[in-house]
Amino acid sequence: MSTPNEAQTAARTERSQRRPVSSWREHHGWSAANSLRRLASKPVGSLLTIAVMGLALALPLAFYLLLSNVQSLGDALGRNQVINVFLKTDQVASNAQLLAKKIEQHDGVANVTVKSPQEGLDELSKMQGFSDSLHALDNNPLPYVLLVQPQDGVSADTANQLVDDLRNEQGVDVVQDSGTWRQRLDALLGVGNRAVLILAGLFALAVLLVVGNTVRVDITSRADEIGVLKLIGASRAFVRRPYLYAGIWYGLFSGVLAVALAIAIEFALADPVARLSQVYEGKLHVGGLPPWLLLAVPVAAAVLGWLGARLVSAWQLRRAA
Amino acid sequence: MGNAVIRFDQVSKRYEGGHEALSQLTFEVAKGEMAFVTGHSGAGKSTLLKLLALIERPSHGHISLDGQSLAKIGQSGIPKLRRNLGMVFQDHRLLMDRTVFANVELPLVIGGIAPLERGRRVRAALEKVGLLDYERQLPASLSTGEQQRVGIARAIVVKPTVLIADEPTGNLDPQLAVEIMGLFAEFQQIGTTVLIASHDLPLIKRIKKRVIVLDHGRLVADVSAEEVL
Repeated sequence: MSTPNEAQTAARTERSQRRPVSSWREHHGWSAANSLRRLASKPVGSLLTIAVMGLALALPLAFYLLLSNVQSLGDALGRNQVINVFLKTDQVASNAQLLAKKIEQHDGVANVTVKSPQEGLDELSKMQGFSDSLHALDNNPLPYVLLVQPQDGVSADTANQLVDDLRNEQGVDVVQDSGTWRQRLDALLGVGNRAVLILAGLFALAVLLVVGNTVRVDITSRADEIGVLKLIGASRAFVRRPYLYAGIWYGLFSGVLAVALAIAIEFALADPVARLSQVYEGKLHVGGLPPWLLLAVPVAAAVLGWLGARLVSAWQLRRAA
Repeated sequence: MGNAVIRFDQVSKRYEGGHEALSQLTFEVAKGEMAFVTGHSGAGKSTLLKLLALIERPSHGHISLDGQSLAKIGQSGIPKLRRNLGMVFQDHRLLMDRTVFANVELPLVIGGIAPLERGRRVRAALEKVGLLDYERQLPASLSTGEQQRVGIARAIVVKPTVLIADEPTGNLDPQLAVEIMGLFAEFQQIGTTVLIASHDLPLIKRIKKRVIVLDHGRLVADVSAEEVL
């Protein structure tokens, strides 16, 4: 057995030889494991807190998913957008063909189809209720019609310019543009996107407050333990660290839950969306949340949890001291 | 006294509200010495220990511990001071939701000792207090005496130069109290300076160590071990 002086000298030497980095790592490992153990020791309370936070984070995600799909639907419908150009009744086939070739050269035009007055009449005669009325006509009153199909993904501005240009063409009587609804939808989507951002901000604040309050209650209920830790030499950082990790765990788990809920919503929508896509001949590609967002949400939630815990623990531990 | 580890020099402590807990207290405890601080309730025993652990600061006077002036230790230096000071409390101050092992390990975790070394030292401390077989148990499943032994193991696991105890036998029956005091005497024998606050005079007489007697915060007697004999 070593002498008293040797034992105490050895203890001092050991203390002085400790590597700060490994010690720091061990402290963090211990605090992380300790805070997880605390969460597991009160499973119902922890799960309820995580569920509340997870739902709060899932709501903006669900709205984001909804909006991005409405946007996608709008894109798909936009691809079916056709501009109907009604020529004056005095325009003959050669005029219609010439104008069609000219329009095809226009920016943003995919193709132009010429529909003759006879084809128009045939279409009308197939419609219920028109057949008898058309027989009463002495001659065909329908004009040549050019069906102008804009290119996929053409911007609203380009489409509007195209419509204006078509109206100014010689021999054109009326231009019917079905794209106005798209502008309205885009405006509504803009409002929706802004609302999602505001909601996300509000729910992030809610997460911050929930974590903060949970940590506050935890610190209050562990006042005796904190006192013991301080008496045996724990620094303020050491005392606070498990609470910061608790905030990180709450945030991380709630973020994972929110992503899981968003994925569940995607799955729930998969069947009806597939049917909708068939209606649009497969042109409707409804996507889920982007992978970067699925990763970013738990990370951002963990940061929020840490921040909430940090703000409250600094204040609460000062009070406890 | 040249090799004093604990030194009080004209130390007074007046709490807010005017109560003077200690007055002009001067004494020294040598390296490797064991001493009792005794006196009636309110004599200032606990205040004296609080000043040593920097739980309180003196109103006047100067205290040094292991050659270091406590007045020079700022708020940020207190944890380091306490990490090198073994403290035992009457109410044990154990964490009841952690095992005996985890309780004793705690100061080593705080001190940044590596896990393998922690395990070795915790078991050595538990063996010293006779609780090696209890390491996986929760403190609530132990008797009061056993809980106090866990508290002592936690205090000695850091190999402190100074061990202070505030009424460590206050909740124990006489036989257990003697056993606990025997443990403190063992630590003194391996060179640890031990200062114990106790009002149990019969027990103090039985242990036969130096006795510092306080009354209303003043030092009224300082009886050496030989004089106790």
